[in-house]
Amino acid sequence: MEMRGLALSSASLVIVLSAVAAAQAPLRNKQPPGFDDFTQRVQQYMKLRKALPNERTTKRQDQIVDRRLSIADAIREARPAAKPGDIFTPECAPEFLRVIRSTLRGSRAASVRKTIRQGEPVMGVHLTVNGAYPEHLPRTTVPPTLLLRLPRLPDKLAYRIVDRDFVLQDTEARLVVDFIPGALP
Amino acid sequence: MQRLSLLLLLLSGCRTAHLWAQDRTLPLKSGSVRFAVIGDMGTGEAPQYQVAQRMLEFHQKFPFNFAIMLGDNIYGGKTPADLKKKFEIPYKPLMDAGVQFYASLGNHDDTNERFNKFFNMNGQSYYSFKKGNVHFFALDSDYLDPKQLDWLEKELANAGTDWKICFFHHPLYSSGAFHGSSTELRTILEPLFLKYGVQVVFSGHDHVYERVKPQKGIYYFTEGASGELRYGNLKKTEITAAGYDKDRSFLAIEISGDDLSFQAVSRTGVTVDSGSFHRPGAAPPSP
Repeated sequence: MEMRGLALSSASLVIVLSAVAAAQAPLRNKQPPGFDDFTQRVQQYMKLRKALPNERTTKRQDQIVDRRLSIADAIREARPAAKPGDIFTPECAPEFLRVIRSTLRGSRAASVRKTIRQGEPVMGVHLTVNGAYPEHLPRTTVPPTLLLRLPRLPDKLAYRIVDRDFVLQDTEARLVVDFIPGALP
Repeated sequence: MQRLSLLLLLLSGCRTAHLWAQDRTLPLKSGSVRFAVIGDMGTGEAPQYQVAQRMLEFHQKFPFNFAIMLGDNIYGGKTPADLKKKFEIPYKPLMDAGVQFYASLGNHDDTNERFNKFFNMNGQSYYSFKKGNVHFFALDSDYLDPKQLDWLEKELANAGTDWKICFFHHPLYSSGAFHGSSTELRTILEPLFLKYGVQVVFSGHDHVYERVKPQKGIYYFTEGASGELRYGNLKKTEITAAGYDKDRSFLAIEISGDDLSFQAVSRTGVTVDSGSFHRPGAAPPSP
């Protein structure tokens, strides 16, 4: 009887702990549907990237810049024929466009657009694949509402908005990996 | 010769006036956590250097151990020469005095600043650290992706009941006319701050100083004028508790137990705001 009571208590404890864990677990989507092709291309890029050196912490800014330039050169060498659409493929680009445009036209559109404006977006600049993200350009601000609906990226990659283009940037190399021209309405 | 003496006398008078105007209002209690707050400073121009000089003078009266940076640490170019001109040279005397700088990133920063050891980011664009009974959370408000939000939620949940202070570039509440409140970020971050008991938030981006009346129990400060300035850009609203937009400034903070004291000092050494408050949610102070 005592054992049964103990078993019941343990079971109850497991249920309670599971409920607490579930309540504390973030509800953010791990991987929204419709981006399988993109995710696969990003993984391929990261395989290439893993073979290259990483940035390291230092007080020497010259070392940070030198490493950044050499990583960028190595990426260009590894992807000499890279072109728009290699990662934002024709299969997944429409899904990106759908999500971007619905976010910018949805119920929170005004505050989402305000976020982009507050990041002081650069207009009249068009980047090229394998080109450098210019040093003087602001990073710009990508609306969190949009990021919540897009595939998560590995640490070295980030989405950027430059003019109306939607850009995939290698942040360590400050290199444009791919972009969708005119993605923002 | 007489003219030179007169000039020297006038200059020394100005300097004395600065020091006099920069009287410390902070209590300087034993064992307190003391730090400075600067934002939008990385211009490399004379006003940034003058604010840094005021900070150094203030450090002699109020020996703070570290400074938090609210983003736009390095405007424009990011060459080694730029880093020297816009950070290393102006703050060298403070670093020589043992002050550590903890940066968050703004829209004008390079993500690779996280690799610069001067900024104590340890290679991360968002991170946390603890000083005494205070947990600090540096966020990257230009890129609040789900990964960062998950990290923040986990960190806040594990931070216990001490002071929790978040700092990042974009102000959730601001009366700055140029940018104003970042309402979308507020929608995302405020529920987390409330859920996990964040008490104080520091931001920059609007190039003014503003102390906001507590919003849902949280104290918000904007200090975006430690190098840049948008003169006259603060359009005081019903949320404004105090503000200053006539010159550059920095903020000094002291936390002792459950009490936080603040003092905002202008580029010319004038105290433009000061005060203190008790930690929201803590037991009331003993009479």
